[in-house]
Amino acid sequence: MTQEVLYWQALNRALDELMAVDEAVFVLGEDVGLYGGSYRVTEGLYAKYGDWRVRDTPISEGSFTGLGVGAALMGLRPVVEIMTVNFALLALDALINMAAKVPFMSGGAFPMGLTVRMPGGVAKQLAAQHSQRLEHTLMNAAGLRIVVPATPQDAYWQLKQAILSDEPVIVLEHELLYFSKGLLDETLPPPPPHRALCRRQGRDLTILAYSKMAVLAEEAAGILAGQGIEAEVIDLRSLSPIDWNTCTDSVARTHRVLIVEEDCRFAGAGAEVAATLAERCFTRLEAAPLRLGGLDLPTPYNGTLEAQTIP
Amino acid sequence: MKHPLTMPVLSDTMETGRLSRWLKKPGDAVKKGEVIAEVESDKALMELEAFQDGYLAGPLAPEDSELPVKNVIGWIADSREEALSEEPQPAGEQPTAPPAPAEATQAVPPSPAAVPPAKTEAAPSQPPLSRQTPPPPAAEETTAEGRSPVVQASLAGRQQPAGGITPLARELAQELNIDPHSLPTGPAGVIRAGQVLAAALAGPAPDLRHSAEYDIKRPSGLRQKVAENMAATTSTPQFQITSRLHLNTLHDLARQRELSFTLLLARVCALTIQKHPRVNAAWTPQGLAWRTQVDVAIAVDTPDGLISPVLRDVAGRPLEELAEDWRILKDKTQRRRLQPHDYEGGSFYLSNLGVFPRVFWFDALVPLGASAILAVAAADKAGRCAITLSCDHRVLAGADAARFMEDLTAALENARLEESTQA
Repeated sequence: MTQEVLYWQALNRALDELMAVDEAVFVLGEDVGLYGGSYRVTEGLYAKYGDWRVRDTPISEGSFTGLGVGAALMGLRPVVEIMTVNFALLALDALINMAAKVPFMSGGAFPMGLTVRMPGGVAKQLAAQHSQRLEHTLMNAAGLRIVVPATPQDAYWQLKQAILSDEPVIVLEHELLYFSKGLLDETLPPPPPHRALCRRQGRDLTILAYSKMAVLAEEAAGILAGQGIEAEVIDLRSLSPIDWNTCTDSVARTHRVLIVEEDCRFAGAGAEVAATLAERCFTRLEAAPLRLGGLDLPTPYNGTLEAQTIP
Repeated sequence: MKHPLTMPVLSDTMETGRLSRWLKKPGDAVKKGEVIAEVESDKALMELEAFQDGYLAGPLAPEDSELPVKNVIGWIADSREEALSEEPQPAGEQPTAPPAPAEATQAVPPSPAAVPPAKTEAAPSQPPLSRQTPPPPAAEETTAEGRSPVVQASLAGRQQPAGGITPLARELAQELNIDPHSLPTGPAGVIRAGQVLAAALAGPAPDLRHSAEYDIKRPSGLRQKVAENMAATTSTPQFQITSRLHLNTLHDLARQRELSFTLLLARVCALTIQKHPRVNAAWTPQGLAWRTQVDVAIAVDTPDGLISPVLRDVAGRPLEELAEDWRILKDKTQRRRLQPHDYEGGSFYLSNLGVFPRVFWFDALVPLGASAILAVAAADKAGRCAITLSCDHRVLAGADAARFMEDLTAALENARLEESTQA
């Protein structure tokens, strides 16, 4: 049954469905329980599943993410919520040193069915320390998987896939997408977890984007169409691994690629995409790949300036 | 302040133009409206006027150089000292190296005045002498001040192509066995895939390795255009049909009424075409384009090459009006002032080589956009002359052409210049 839902509702539904069938799934994080989640994603779950499975934690990301790692080592499926990606900096030891590496270092002896959910991106005047985009940092940590759903349907699918996966998956959401609307069909079979999707077909250039920028790219493509330029828009949906086949198929046809990211341009997520596409599609390109990314500076608090720092 | 002069766009399809010559030199005073240079498009020569009072300032594009439209070709300075000084270009046009990746350059608050716009605009606006003159792609038409900091940052340091070949074009050239060096370049002097494909479809180039010594000279814009137009007709299936007739009556009438003989030829053709509307139609991929008005394009030989000014509605208008139009067209042709509307869109073509008495027969190629062209040769000693109609066989069959020629021959021999009232 297809319904129009909000992004946070899609996440909520995914959590609820999986928690209902598998006791190993539990949620932990700041304000996820009594408060229902700072972005409402865990609304109603505390009342339904109790405080054993929906745990409010102290403000100590390193500790509770580490707790999640430990639980995952024992075969549970924790869903850790870090309030924003900025706070994940305090949990990097748990994420990069432990979650990403223990399965390798133990020769596969330990599972790591850990899911870490966090919103990232520039919101509205949350200032520099609360507006960071750290996808590039997490991408570079071999052993982690990262998905970036842009729509409620993808949020639903990808959160479920992340929880059911035995690999550590980071679900990178976006503060400004939580209240975005979209159609959700729970019965629709999902694409493979890290597959990129073509959101709009075109022939003049390929626009590659993820998360909120994918939504923006579709809008931009609509404007370009009015100028006679047909842009193909690909939503990457996953930053680790990246679905290169979908990307190269598109670029092989359009011969031009524009990468749009909210991440700061220098060594941002787009840098990997640009480099790899240049390698894989060099002889099909009419021009070097172009990246449109965030400015390389801490996000200003002033609203006008803030708006000018991202595409 | 120095204000840029740019290569003007003289027609819809003009992509490059040739700066023929400067009529002034740097430091000379110019007044608004004064002609300061001559610019050639593929068919027309235009006088470039100064858009304001001032002094012509360099660097000036070299004479006889081919440049993309909207490129800067020179400057008008407000003062003579400025015109003659070696001052750097005004802000916004400053050619600089791409900015160092230092954060400082991008940390500037994005107010219009503070943002260093030059770095991204430098390439498109530089005069040609510095060899970086790509025409700005559509997205870059806004001024530096109008662009967001994010866009400026993303374009900063991006190498504007100035010559060379794109990876795709190189790959295609390899696959299609085309020597990239033999290709004409596209905008910005870059060879793109389109050029490679066009060369592949255009057919082979001659191999002059064993030919006598030769000099390569670029043809004039007009000759180049003629070459393109004629090459474009190779996929038109054509046949010729010839009649022989006496044109003395028409010649006498021309002398008597002091009208151009060619004009009268055109007139008789047009009136005959009205009775054979198929001759006035043209083949298009969507279907036949039927036209009621007969616009006759008349081939004219000029020192620069062949051009066919078009006389409009030759069947419908009074002869005096047509004569005046023809006079104007010939004048424009001589002064190389024809505009695209003057030479494009003919529905029937006429070529008269009758002034060459030893040429007793010739045929012509049917240009795109028409279905027939009439070639008129000189009369022989007996006074008979051969006229040959080349036809697009997708539009006209032999019998269609023959019927037309029967009527046309009769009309020409009888010099029927007005619509006949007989059946």
